[in-house]
Amino acid sequence: MGILYNRIAVFRAERGVTRRELAEAVGVNNQTIGYLERGDYKPSLELAMKIAAFFGVPIELLFSFRPFESVADTMRRAAAAGERNP
Amino acid sequence: MSLLERMDRLVYATRIDRLIFMKSEPRSYRWTPLLVIAALVAGYGIMANAGRAIPDYFVGWFFFYGAFLAAGFLRALGPRFTATATGPLDERELMVKSQAHAIAGIVLGVVMMLGCFYMAAAGAPFLWHPQGPLDWINLGFGVQAVSLLLPTWIASWIESPREADAED
Repeated sequence: MGILYNRIAVFRAERGVTRRELAEAVGVNNQTIGYLERGDYKPSLELAMKIAAFFGVPIELLFSFRPFESVADTMRRAAAAGERNP
Repeated sequence: MSLLERMDRLVYATRIDRLIFMKSEPRSYRWTPLLVIAALVAGYGIMANAGRAIPDYFVGWFFFYGAFLAAGFLRALGPRFTATATGPLDERELMVKSQAHAIAGIVLGVVMMLGCFYMAAAGAPFLWHPQGPLDWINLGFGVQAVSLLLPTWIASWIESPREADAED
């Protein structure tokens, strides 16, 4: 089975949500959020959809079979696009 | 204050409530179960070979039933297999529980099968086999202790080590 990458930690940090708050919101143990963030556990579709709904984003923004680009790369790409289309 | 209230307070003062209601965070036991199984085997061996030597028998009894007690504690303090005061098992814990018990069941099944083959051959004078009711009863408790320990041991290996989390 392949690796399932996720950006739960990034979204959680951006929204200022603790693991415990997210765990309570989606109905799991807070240790499970830690396992998810480290990629040690692949969530069920139900749990993945609950987490996506909690952050109010489509599921593919949180989970992917390909590595997510880093924040630095995203900003560099956005800056380059801004220069092309001022 | 009534006696019941005092006893209730004593439970919380001694922090036994953390064990009774399983309030503490589950721990991984990757090696301790092996030590407990070794103590079980050693204790059983001493008891079975003690014959009429009462002191030897009690040394074995102490090892064996101490290990039996330890098996119960490890089960309670290790990875969660039942709902506790902290809440029901979530999907990850249910998955770990089912995998650990499935593997433990297979291991125990194979050991029991090999044990049956051994017992079939144990009529030979040089092979040991349980001699009387006490040996059989102790063997039964030993199997029970191992069946408690194996899922805890396997679940501790299935789960990657828990990381200390400043938020928790």
